[in-house]
Amino acid sequence: MADRRTRSALTWSGKLITGVVFLGAIVLFALIAPLLTQDPRDSDNPAMLPPGPDHLLGTTSLGYDVLAQLAEGARGSLIVGVTAGLVAIVLALVFGVVAGYLRGWTDEVLSLVTGIMLVIPGLPLMIVIASYLEVRSLWVVALILGVTAFAGPAVVLRSQARSLRVRDYVAAAQVAGERAPRVILVEVLPNLLPLLAAQFLFAILIAILGEAGLSYLGLGPNGSITWGTMLNDAQGGGALTRGAWWWFVPPGLMIALFGCGLSLVNFAIDEVVNPKLRLAPAAAKRVRKARRSGRDKLGAARDHEPAPSTAAGEPSTSRSAEEPRDGAADQKERVDV
Amino acid sequence: MIRGKIRGRWLTAAAALTSVTLLAAGCSGASEGNEGPEDGGGSSASAEGAATERELVIWAGSQTPITANFNPYNPASVLHLANGGIYEPLFVYNKIADEPPTPMLGLESEWNADGTELTVTLREGVQWNDGEPFTADDVVYSFTNDTAKPPYLEDAVASDDATVVFSFDDPQFTNEFAILGSTLIVPEHVFAEHEKDKGEDVDGNALSGLVAWPNAEAPVGTGPYMVDTTSDAAYTAKANPTYWGGEPKVASLRYIGIDSNQSAEDLLTTGQIDWATMFVPQPDRITSSGVYGYWNTPKDPTVLYTCANADRGCEGEQTDVAVRQALNLAVDRGAIDEKAFVGLAETVSPTYALLGRDDKWIAEGMPAEAAQTADAAAAASVLEDAGYTKDADGFYGKDGAAIELTLASPDGWTDYNNAAKLIEEQAREAGLKVVATTISEAEYGDQRFSGKFELLVGGVVGTSIADPYQIYRDWFTGDFTQDVGTQLGSGEWNFSRYDDPEVNEAVAKAGQTNDEAVKKEAYAVVQEHLVEDVPFIPLVVNATQTFYNTKDYAGWPTEENPYAFPPAWENPSSGLVLGKVGGTGQ
Amino acid sequence: MTFYLRRLAFYAITLWAAISLNFLIPRMLPGDPFTILLAKLQRSGGVTPSVENSIRLLLGAVEDQTLWEQYVHYWGNLVRGDLGVSVTQFPTPVTELIAGALPWTIGLVGTATVISFVLGIGLGAFAGWKRGTWVDSLIPSTTMMQSLPYFWVALLLIFVFSVTLGWFPIIGAYDVFEFNGPEWSWAFVGSVLYHAFLPALTIVISSVGGWLLGMRNMMVATLSEDYITTAEAKGLRPRRIFMTYATRNAAMPSLAGFGVSLGFVVAGSLVMEQVFTYPGVGKLMIQAVRNNDYALMQGVFLVITVAVLAALFIMDLIYGFIDPRTRSNNG
Repeated sequence: MADRRTRSALTWSGKLITGVVFLGAIVLFALIAPLLTQDPRDSDNPAMLPPGPDHLLGTTSLGYDVLAQLAEGARGSLIVGVTAGLVAIVLALVFGVVAGYLRGWTDEVLSLVTGIMLVIPGLPLMIVIASYLEVRSLWVVALILGVTAFAGPAVVLRSQARSLRVRDYVAAAQVAGERAPRVILVEVLPNLLPLLAAQFLFAILIAILGEAGLSYLGLGPNGSITWGTMLNDAQGGGALTRGAWWWFVPPGLMIALFGCGLSLVNFAIDEVVNPKLRLAPAAAKRVRKARRSGRDKLGAARDHEPAPSTAAGEPSTSRSAEEPRDGAADQKERVDV
Repeated sequence: MIRGKIRGRWLTAAAALTSVTLLAAGCSGASEGNEGPEDGGGSSASAEGAATERELVIWAGSQTPITANFNPYNPASVLHLANGGIYEPLFVYNKIADEPPTPMLGLESEWNADGTELTVTLREGVQWNDGEPFTADDVVYSFTNDTAKPPYLEDAVASDDATVVFSFDDPQFTNEFAILGSTLIVPEHVFAEHEKDKGEDVDGNALSGLVAWPNAEAPVGTGPYMVDTTSDAAYTAKANPTYWGGEPKVASLRYIGIDSNQSAEDLLTTGQIDWATMFVPQPDRITSSGVYGYWNTPKDPTVLYTCANADRGCEGEQTDVAVRQALNLAVDRGAIDEKAFVGLAETVSPTYALLGRDDKWIAEGMPAEAAQTADAAAAASVLEDAGYTKDADGFYGKDGAAIELTLASPDGWTDYNNAAKLIEEQAREAGLKVVATTISEAEYGDQRFSGKFELLVGGVVGTSIADPYQIYRDWFTGDFTQDVGTQLGSGEWNFSRYDDPEVNEAVAKAGQTNDEAVKKEAYAVVQEHLVEDVPFIPLVVNATQTFYNTKDYAGWPTEENPYAFPPAWENPSSGLVLGKVGGTGQ
Repeated sequence: MTFYLRRLAFYAITLWAAISLNFLIPRMLPGDPFTILLAKLQRSGGVTPSVENSIRLLLGAVEDQTLWEQYVHYWGNLVRGDLGVSVTQFPTPVTELIAGALPWTIGLVGTATVISFVLGIGLGAFAGWKRGTWVDSLIPSTTMMQSLPYFWVALLLIFVFSVTLGWFPIIGAYDVFEFNGPEWSWAFVGSVLYHAFLPALTIVISSVGGWLLGMRNMMVATLSEDYITTAEAKGLRPRRIFMTYATRNAAMPSLAGFGVSLGFVVAGSLVMEQVFTYPGVGKLMIQAVRNNDYALMQGVFLVITVAVLAALFIMDLIYGFIDPRTRSNNG
């Protein structure tokens, strides 16, 4: 038993380590590499050099050093991603969780805003905002991306929060006189954390990809270098057809690696938030194994299926779920987590 | 029913195509490198080469979805084939050579001495593709209907069946090209019926007149091709059997819509398009297959527009001529051509005469070519003479405030964006702070027309005939501009708000005459001012790259046989080309 | 019943607000269609005064109307189902353009979205179920796919499979060199499927990871619930637990997201449609925005708005139906 548990913990740390190494390496690259490489806007180099000792990743059609651009671009993309992710998730919390938890007018108004943001096509909205601004700096692009991206997560969080709020332990807290902010923070949020973490990391990724997409349409941050503007330059400069893979491939790969790191860390957060998650698979395995050996004996007891209770606010399709009372005791435990 | 029929026709074409391809493959060794001799067709409009069923695939720049609109009076969405392929002008001018125009529906033209009367002799025996005869009345109608009538035209009269006389109040030598070369002749018996057509404009308001008519079904023209099918992805045309130049040798054409340059380049690389004009950074990657001929015909200058005239409301340090001169000295045109334009652009003349074609118009003592290297020292001394001093950061300024100019270019116009980046760097070398940025196309249009900009990367439309007059008048005279804040009007391209009385006077004088010596004298005045005042900072003459399939088709305009400006989108000369192209027949 | 009435009221207000914004947004864009069109024409040759005159006629004169009058006019047209005429595609009515583009978008993007969702949920459920086993080591590679920029993937796919290997077409929804428009024939259907492959692959590659990850997270959370353990202890078949207890419950939040994505199917996939010259709604929109084609822009906005709202509404109904608690306690 013990050895299996250790092994699963090791897998976990392995993933976390890989994820953190990916992210850490990219962050370090963004911080340090710009100091070591040449000016990313120095066009004195020959154009379209393939990778070589002088230019480890070659040069662009304007003679810019690709490695230097990649380093500067890492900085830009990280700023955009994290800022936009934060903006989006904070807004999603306000517009999703608060709306889902509080009912009445607050919910109506917040949901209305979410609903409108959801149905307005984001891209033209960005174009309008972008064209109103004299300068589209990194921060502005990040803000636009964050603001236009919160509605999706907000809807998901809201429907989740709505289910959570009718839980007995939430009701108990309300009866005990807890105020709404506290109930939301202490009772509701912890149960949303896995979802929230996934949404946050996802929002960062979406923002970085969104920035790349905006740049592809020529609406990226101007005056700054990001992986997105690099890709756009490479595409505009015909990098692929001219065989300049060293210009076209690295920015895309960096984005992919960063996304990969985010996802790996996401797993880890997920398991830290709820240690049970880490133990459950092992337990499930034990049960599975035990049953496999004793299937015949257990087979007879089948006609006593319990009506499934609901988990993490997930509705069951069984009609008996309308009386979710029998699960109350189990769910108390989750509050302690 | 209809679909079945079309499909059947296509299958026949495909069968023929296969056999042609097989034949061509058999002799491909011999076909290479002999495109020159057999193309010596001169300037008649008859077809070259052998008849072929192989469908000629063209990309003229259309994007999807394609809407059936062959009305030449609707510039917003008319399809390329209409202008030239279906409707023809009186003459086709060759934009890249100083030579007489190719006669199309007109045969000869003659001005009276003072430029107030133009007599045109028409080609006889021409038929509209619906069988009706083409008459002098059609020509009169094409110039006098409400939609097309130019303001300077006093009257057009058919003096006999084959002669039309245009009369004007003032000398109109300078509008010769507009009349003979760019006005398309339409059939009165068809168009007159649609003058009262009703439609809606963009805001849903009622719109009537010829503009409202899509002319989508079987357009009636004199040109070499007739519309066959239209879908939102492509449209096809078939040869006009009664074409006055003889039935075209290529049985059918297919114009396709493509949404990105990358896709178009990919289609060229894989040999799926036969004629396209577009920017390709490495043309040899396409020509190396031996299928395509390639001709780069730079014509349109790329410049920096500067809002130069403070008297008409321009703001920013670029209104000081010293700053413009310094920037002009600071740019490294060689590097800009090499890196931003991939070495495909041509040298620009600061006189805006097209080098090679307009050489005779460049006045004595004027620099024919703009400097190809940067001269930071000269730039610095110009600034210092004008009282600017360097600050701690190495930038010139006055009263402690460094010069800072915003240089904008439209999002996604890669060559412009790159040029701007390079200029930012080059200007820094010379101690000038220029900040390159990109703006949306809409914003770009707005800034140009309203004058609310400091520096923009932009284009100058090269003249269609071997004479820079139109550039001088439309782009540099005070009559063709407005104060900053007022949008430029019809035909006004003077974005820099440049307004110099001597230039205005010289251009007006040149416009009144057909006397070369008088014109040259006037141009000398204009050129001297343009070189000295630099309202625009000339950079390069931008590339115009055309690719055409020489394996299966003959008769293209080429460097050896430059009978027409070759772009697939060029109107109406593409019609002339279509009438001449035929199969290689090998 | 009040639940449904309240929701209806909510949707009505949202719709009104969205449509009004749709009206305002294009009018806030800088520049006007006239100068943009002129700049474009100028880029490819001379513009004669008569050409300019025609453009002015086409684009009409709106200066006389106040914004409010335009707004009333806009609603009037909307109610009559008149979305106006496109400038860039003059004189095609906007409704016709959208009707032409919708089937392609719904067909391609819709199918790809469903495939991606089903695949992602299935694999995610499986990965969650097999948590702690070798399957977990495959997750990083799938999330990496999801992290690749759309157009980057599309351009690489075209470069490798269409240009270099020549296996797939480069542009279009069908063979534009062969067919003169859509037709009912096996050859055409085959051509459509052949042309849809790479674009659909692009969408699936870049979106399947999201579903997979979300589903896996929820699956893991669900599997830790006591009732699962109870069910297992009671000796239910693993398959039954997997399907009835775990997967169904875990898929619910993804379903909400799926509803939203289905609504946005109508918006098409801007970048994909641009890269593949695919005749969908997304491309119409970007064309409209670039050319300040107000009528087209508003029409496309409207269709997307209605589609997304409808999708949300249906999701709401489904939720209310299968999880009665969401409509109880309306207080």
